[in-house]
Order: sequence, then C-alpha cells, then structure tokens
Amino acid sequence: MSGIDDIEEMIVQVSLGNRAAFSSLYDATSAKLFGVCLRVLKDRAEAEETLQDVFLRVWQKASLYRANGYSPMTWLITLARNAAIDRLRARKAPAVDIDEVPDLRDAGPTPEAAAIASSERARLDGCLEELEADRSDAVRRAYLDAESYKALAARYDVPLNTVRTWLRRSLLKLRECLTR
Amino acid sequence: MSETEDHSDDIALAGEYVLHLLNAADRRAVEARLTTDPVLRRLVRDFETQFAPMAEDIPEVVPPAALKARIEARLFDKPRKERRSIWRWILGGTLAIGVLAGALVMAPRLMDMGAPAPAMTATVAAEDGSLVVAARFIRETGMLDIERQAGGALPGRVLELWLIADGAEAPVSLGVLPPDGTAQITVPAALAGQLSGGLLAISDEPPGGSPTGAPTGAVLAAGPVIDA
Repeated sequence: MSGIDDIEEMIVQVSLGNRAAFSSLYDATSAKLFGVCLRVLKDRAEAEETLQDVFLRVWQKASLYRANGYSPMTWLITLARNAAIDRLRARKAPAVDIDEVPDLRDAGPTPEAAAIASSERARLDGCLEELEADRSDAVRRAYLDAESYKALAARYDVPLNTVRTWLRRSLLKLRECLTR
Repeated sequence: MSETEDHSDDIALAGEYVLHLLNAADRRAVEARLTTDPVLRRLVRDFETQFAPMAEDIPEVVPPAALKARIEARLFDKPRKERRSIWRWILGGTLAIGVLAGALVMAPRLMDMGAPAPAMTATVAAEDGSLVVAARFIRETGMLDIERQAGGALPGRVLELWLIADGAEAPVSLGVLPPDGTAQITVPAALAGQLSGGLLAISDEPPGGSPTGAPTGAVLAAGPVIDA
C-alpha cells in the first residue's frame, strides 16, 4: 500500500492527464474502494459497476481535488461511498433484507487492526463512546451501511421521528466532541 | 469551542447530509446551498473527514482484474461507440461538465476564429457545471482569451482567476474577470512560462478582487491547462 503522500501526488498527476498515475492510483486504492462499495451495496455486480463509475469520476474530477480541502483518502472514500449510496437509493426495492445481511461489525476489529488504528480513528471512537450505545451504533450503521432513518427506526423499534431526533442530537454532540 | 444556537441546525443538517439520511428533496436543497455557503461546506467537509476513519473497519476486497481494463478502455480507447457512451455518462450524470466536455464545446469555436491558434487551453468548470469558463492562451500576443460559458459572480462579488503552476505551493492571481462574458487578460511573460502543466482556478472574491493576494473566498471552479 502506498503512503498517503504518494496517493496525493497520484491524484495531482491524474488531474494533469497522466495515465500511468491513474493506473497506480487504481492499484493502490481500488481494493479499499471496492470494499466500501460492497459494504453499502452488498451486491458484487452492482459494486463493480459503481467502482467503475467512481474511477471515471476520479479521472474527470481530479483537477478539483486540490481546491476542495479533503485529504486524498477521505476524498476517494467519499466519492465511492456517495456513488454506492446513490445507487442503493435508486433501487426500486431493496435487493436484500437488511436483517439478513450478516453484521460484519459485530465481530469487532482484530487486535492487530485495533493496534494500527489511526489517531483520527481513536478520536472518533472516543467521541462515539460518549454517546449512548444504540446511538453510536446508529451513526455507524448510517455511515458504513447507509441505513436510512426508516431502516434504523425499524431496527430499534422506535418511531421515525424519534430516531431522527436521536441522530441529530448525536451529530451535534459528535461535532462538539470532535472539535473540542 | 462553542457553536451558536442557530448554527446547530446546520451542524445537524451537514451530518445528516454526510450520512445520507436526508430525503431526495432535502439532499438536493443542501447541495444547492453548498455551492454558495462556505460555512455549510466546511461543516460537510469536517464530518466527511472525521467519519472517514470508520471506513478503516471495512475489509479491502480486490476487484476482478478485468474491471481495471474496462475502466481504462472507457477512458482512453476512443472507438466511436465507446465515446458516445462516455458522453452519455457525463451529460446524463449530475457531474462536472468537466475537462472533456469543455474540449467538445470549444472545438467548433476554435475553427471559426480567424485569430492565431491558441498554444494552450483550459476549461475552468465547477463540479456541477454551474460555472464554466473557457480560457485560450495565445502565445503570439501573450493574452489569455476568456469566455464565460455558464454561471457568473454572486451579487456584489467578483470572480478572480488564479494560476496554480505545476509544483507551485500557492496560486498566483491572473486578475479579476470582468462582468461581461468575454475578456482578454495579459499574462506577464514570467507567468506565461508556467501555464503549461498548471491549473487554472476561479474563486469568489469581494469587489476589486482578493485583498490579500491569495484566494479568500470559495474556489468555485478549476481546470488543468492543456497544451493545444
């Protein structure tokens, strides 16, 4: 895996039309971004099509990267997640029942993964822990699995407006904690 | 750090936007605001940045090898059919009518101009196509011909054009764009040599342009300089 500076340089090179840099960027990041698409879509064929769209966008939007203030991996993950969720929301009906999908997160990170977790990650986890357990769980499910208010209300068996209030309050608390 | 009370609605809204919890109409409303509201844009960027570490939990999955070849073929091979499908993809999406679209728009214009051919061109475009400015550098005259093809300055504000030279740390101002659709900007010889491989960007500035010599408002559009 390339260092973050390399990825940034690759994006800059891609913005100048450098095809070799595009190839390197794909090699360095496609497995992560494919994982993100799969996590949201839970469908391999759809995740492949989405990843394809993501890299077409990367090629076309790389020139905007330097102006937007995102770190390189955040920018790429945001592109992939947005594309996957747009596709998910555009489905006429859910392809799978969310409760039938095995919850990968329940297993928790392995000790090795936990040990290498970034400081940003530690800060986020610390702030999520300040929330009540089901509320931090709801934030994670919304971010990682793109669960909607409707899905979350069903999961916690509370009215939709209640879950909305939970989330909005949690977001304010998170913002307060993360900018402390 | 304390955030004011009426600010808190926007904090929650930015978070809901990042988590994709808004319905389609509310999401579009936020997207429209993001083009003009730097405070909301910063809130969204902060949440995206702060939440991104959650993705560390997601296992990497190597996509099938054929996918990369398919992507590169779509981008770089240009048989007629493929090209048309890329255009449909660009024009059909909500994406930037970016560099590629700019080239299409400009091609016929270049042909009906009697002026010397440009040495370099750039399409400086907003991500959502709300601002599109075509630039053509004529080496013989040292002038940059500017043509605004979409969008304009906000009321009481101006658009300022910047060059971010390849490898440069900071943008250099090329001047404020006049309110009319077209302009000619004289590029100092020292800067003309740095255009190639650089990036042009347009920022939102107070009347008269940035008071600091660096962009002070939002960067609204950007595009690479292409050797013609």
